[in-house]
Amino acid sequence: MYKVRIAFQKDEPACYISHLDLMKALQRSLRRAGLPARYSEGFNPHIVLSILVPLSTGYRSRYELCDFDLTCDGLPPDLVPRLNGALPSGLTVIRAGQAVRPAAQAALSDFEIIWHGVRCADAMESALKNQLTVEKRSKRGSRQVDIRDYVRLYTLCEQGGDTVCRCVLKGGEDPLNPAYVTQAMIQEGILPEGTPVTYTRCAILDENGKEFF
Amino acid sequence: MNHQLAACLEHVKKPSRYAGGEYGAVVKDRQSVDVRFALCFPELYEIGMSHLGSKILYGLLNAMDGVWCERAYAPYTDMEREMRARGLPAYALESGDPLSDFDILGFTLQYELNYTAVLNMLDMAGIPFYASQRTSLTPLVVAGGPCVYNCEPVADFFDIVLIGEGEESLPELIQLYREARASGASKQEFLQRAAQIQGFYVPSMYDVSYNADGTVAAVTPKNGAPEMVRKRVVKDFDKAYFPDRFIVPSTDIVFDRAMVELFRGCRRGCRFCQAGYTYRPIRAKSPETLKKQARRLVETTGYDEVSLTSLSSSDYPHLEALCESLTADFEPRHINLALPSLRADNFNLDLMENVQKVRKSGLTFAPEAGTQRLRDVINKNLREEDLQNACRVAFGAGYNSVKLYFMMGLPTETDEDLLGIASIARNVLGNFRENASNRTRGVRVSVGVATFVPKAQTPFQWFGQIDRQEIVRRQQLLMDSLKIKNVTYSLHGWQASFLEAVLARGGRRLAPVIEGAWRRGSRLDGWDECFDLNRWLEAFEECGVDPAFYANRALGEHEITPWDHIFSGVTKQYLRGEYERSLRGEPTPDCKAGCRNCGALSLTGVKCDV
Repeated sequence: MYKVRIAFQKDEPACYISHLDLMKALQRSLRRAGLPARYSEGFNPHIVLSILVPLSTGYRSRYELCDFDLTCDGLPPDLVPRLNGALPSGLTVIRAGQAVRPAAQAALSDFEIIWHGVRCADAMESALKNQLTVEKRSKRGSRQVDIRDYVRLYTLCEQGGDTVCRCVLKGGEDPLNPAYVTQAMIQEGILPEGTPVTYTRCAILDENGKEFF
Repeated sequence: MNHQLAACLEHVKKPSRYAGGEYGAVVKDRQSVDVRFALCFPELYEIGMSHLGSKILYGLLNAMDGVWCERAYAPYTDMEREMRARGLPAYALESGDPLSDFDILGFTLQYELNYTAVLNMLDMAGIPFYASQRTSLTPLVVAGGPCVYNCEPVADFFDIVLIGEGEESLPELIQLYREARASGASKQEFLQRAAQIQGFYVPSMYDVSYNADGTVAAVTPKNGAPEMVRKRVVKDFDKAYFPDRFIVPSTDIVFDRAMVELFRGCRRGCRFCQAGYTYRPIRAKSPETLKKQARRLVETTGYDEVSLTSLSSSDYPHLEALCESLTADFEPRHINLALPSLRADNFNLDLMENVQKVRKSGLTFAPEAGTQRLRDVINKNLREEDLQNACRVAFGAGYNSVKLYFMMGLPTETDEDLLGIASIARNVLGNFRENASNRTRGVRVSVGVATFVPKAQTPFQWFGQIDRQEIVRRQQLLMDSLKIKNVTYSLHGWQASFLEAVLARGGRRLAPVIEGAWRRGSRLDGWDECFDLNRWLEAFEECGVDPAFYANRALGEHEITPWDHIFSGVTKQYLRGEYERSLRGEPTPDCKAGCRNCGALSLTGVKCDV
């Protein structure tokens, strides 16, 4: 048996596939690619597969990670092209290898946020100097948090008519969805309600800020 | 993807159903094609994508040189709101191009309650509703599907309605369209040529006149159109086109699996069942063909379930051998076989066990009526004994859940027949107590009771639907009698069944009503949360049409029905004979016992595969 990890991009139109649907789409792609994936042994056998860091529906990503097991020894040399020939449009595998590091070490997410049609980098910059409280919801309920406790690094700039933020956000056990950054900026009166936003995950990083694979 | 669409998708539920890009979707170069066809399904993506017929036609059209067939589905209310707010017109999923750019829009009419969705899709595409308002050749708006056997309520909206199986007629439609365009023919010239082809119904070439009481006086063909439009059928079904691949959706749909079609038609002749008459004659595929098609689909789609479909799968003569061979191949690969549409009287547990090796599901049977008398009337040749036997065997093998489907409001039905439904459910419970291999797990019996809707081109087309008060009274009787431990039941509101009955036997005077209901906000009438009968009642009133005239009235023996000029293959005389037998409570043996000369053989000239 061989534990495989793949890194893949999730672009339009696949960015609209939800997390659960994506798992199913990947399982089917593995079958179409004819790869010897391992099945669970329960009452309802299915390909065992996990997506390491979930992504909200509608977000693009240049770097997603998924693990599954193959019943063969070693990585089939043509795994990447075979899988790429079997994926829905917008999903592209960019790397495959042995899954070694535990998923828990995927501690950070590097996001690009584009607010379309607004130029407000300076205002955001000053807002981030002070406490920026939002109500963060999770399965365990909701609580007030300071956005800045979750933002490790960020840059802000204006491109054309848009404002672009590149930020490294906390992931892991208590992750921050970049939509909270938008929410905070709306609360501050910096962004108008209903501003079109594009979120793109650029990378998944470990605790040291290095690309996690 | 264009920005407007991306903006819409930020704000809607299940956005991937509007995004396209699924595995297997066909994308061609716009410059390399000369005919663009939009296969329009006036229902939500989840329903439309589950439909085998559309998959066949999609593959068939895209296999033609120079033709690009794309898909379009009805948007849910949230998506419609977003699209209208942003001025985004209805578009096709593959290219994202507006439907108004297409040469031909082909709507499939699967269900009467989809009619307002047809208009909504046309409206969102900026295409006028009525064929008479569209004077140029392009875009052509055509229709097909099971509702065409009485499509009169929507006939004015379509340039051509294809009667019968699209595998036969669509390539000819494309060819004819190309010729007309090349020769610079007018739309009128094109339609006149089309009307000469078997199965091509051009509604504008038929004048309908009425008697003072509102019944049809005559349907008069013009410009050389035939008196009767004869259904098209595939003659050699075994060799008929079948796709090598399906589009595999990236989100959950209703039937998310590979499908092969065992046979078309049904030998049983249940008198309420429109499909049972309009899909005749019976044509089966060989087990070899089916195996080849099932295996190929599994390879190309990655599906882990294959459904063996037909109107009555346990009637397929080679079912056991086929299933054995397929499971031997599929089981080690964790691929499940699904066998819907089994009958309790030829239920075979070995087969079920064999099929459900990978995943076990529950059992579903459709006795349809609560007493033998009524089952004889409707010609559902099934005895309760057969049903209880099937359940006994299944309970013994560890099954503990049974679904039973019935209808209420059937012709000649009495309260005794209705109480018979509860009695069958109780007997199934007793059966479980006596025969279950594992009684401690408990048993679940669910009873679904639909309201009978008389359909065109069936022996029951002459009956009216029982009226609203009577539906409500009988449903109350059912609810009272079905309060049984371990039994759950579901009944449908009378409103949708009533509207379905109006549209199923309606005539051309309903077109402005449908438009009026759409104008009042009717969109997805098949969905309870979207349906409001009041919008329809207002539209009926506005147009001076009495809905009860269509829904509840019994037709006269010699009355000209709105659909008399559409020939499904089964003669009106045969249907009338079956109607009379039903009144006498006389069942008709199924076609296996000998040909009953229903007329359908005239379409192929060869004997049915029974």
